[in-house]
Amino acid sequence: MACPHLAYRESDGDRAFETARAYCTVVDEFVRPVRADTCTERYGLSPERDCEYFRAEAGLDWDE
Amino acid sequence: MTYDDYLDGKPAVVTAALTGGIHGKEASPHLPETPAEIAADAAACEAAGASVLHLHARRENGERAFSTERFQAVADAVRDATDDAILQHSTGGTAAPAALRAEPLRTDPPPEMASLDMGPLNRGRRLTSENTRDTVDGLHAEMRERGIKPELEVFNDGHLNEALRIVDDLAEPPYLTLILGPGTLTPPSPRNLQHLVDQLPAGAEFNTLGFGRHQLPLTTHALLLGGHVRVGLEDNLYLRAGERATNEALVERAVRVADEVGRPVATPAEARDLLGL
Repeated sequence: MACPHLAYRESDGDRAFETARAYCTVVDEFVRPVRADTCTERYGLSPERDCEYFRAEAGLDWDE
Repeated sequence: MTYDDYLDGKPAVVTAALTGGIHGKEASPHLPETPAEIAADAAACEAAGASVLHLHARRENGERAFSTERFQAVADAVRDATDDAILQHSTGGTAAPAALRAEPLRTDPPPEMASLDMGPLNRGRRLTSENTRDTVDGLHAEMRERGIKPELEVFNDGHLNEALRIVDDLAEPPYLTLILGPGTLTPPSPRNLQHLVDQLPAGAEFNTLGFGRHQLPLTTHALLLGGHVRVGLEDNLYLRAGERATNEALVERAVRVADEVGRPVATPAEARDLLGL
C-alpha cells in the first residue's frame, strides 16, 4: 500500500498550488515528485523500514 | 570534441532542459510543469539561443508522466510556440516504470532526438533505476526504427563503457552527454570531465551536464574542450547562491559565456548538421 504519511494538499498554509501535490505528514513539507514516487505502493516500501524521513524523525539508525 | 574545435570556432549546441521530473513547483515557482508553461519557456529559451529542448511530461499534480498522450500534449504545445528548435524527449529511468519507457518515442511526429540512459543509478537507500542492457537495447532499437537520434546519457565512467558497447550501432556522430553530480554520478570536477572527454570514441560529439552549482563551471570548461552544453531548471534551480534562476536566464548566461570565450552558438540548422539529424 502507499505510505500512510503521503497526503495530497493544495496548501501548507504558506504556499498554495492549483492542484493538490504530494505532501509528507512526517516532515510537514511538500515533497519532490521523484520522492513522492517512492511513497507509492509500486515499490512495496514501508516508512518504518525504508524511509529516510520517517527514520530520521523517529531517531532510528539504519542498523536498528 | 577537442581544444582544436574550440580554437576553430565550432558552434556550440545549447540544450535547455526545461522541466525534468525530479523536482517541481515545490522547489521553484519558475519551474514549468504544464504543457503551456513548458511551451512558454521553450519559446523564451529558443529566442535566447537554445537549439535543443529536452522535454519531460508531467501529470496535473507535477509528478512525472510517461504516456505518449502526455508527451504529445507537451510536444504539440512546444512546436506551436517555437520556430525551429529540436525536440528531445526523455526516456529517463528515474521513476519510470519499465513498461512505459518507450512511450515518449511514439508521438506523432516522433521527436528528432531522445535520451538513452546508459546504465543503473541508485535512488535513495533502497531503489535503483536499473537501465539494463536489455532495456537500453530495446529503446535504442525503437529509436532507430523511428529515425530518432539517441542522446547517450553517461552518468559515470561505467556508463561510458556501456556507450562504447553500442557505438558501432550508432548513427554518426555518436552523441554523448557527460553527467557530473552527486550519488551514482561522476563526481563533479574539471579533471573528471577532462578524463571522460579523453575516453570518448573518435568522431563523437559531447554535451555536458553539471548539477546545481556545477552547471556553470563545467559547462564553461566544456566550451573550451569543443563540447556542447546543457542548462536549465531540470538540473539547476539557481543562478548563484540565493538567487533563483529561470530557464531563460540560464540559457542567456550560457550564450553569454560562450560568446565571451569565443564559441559561436549553434542555430537549430547548425545543430542538426553537427549532430547528424
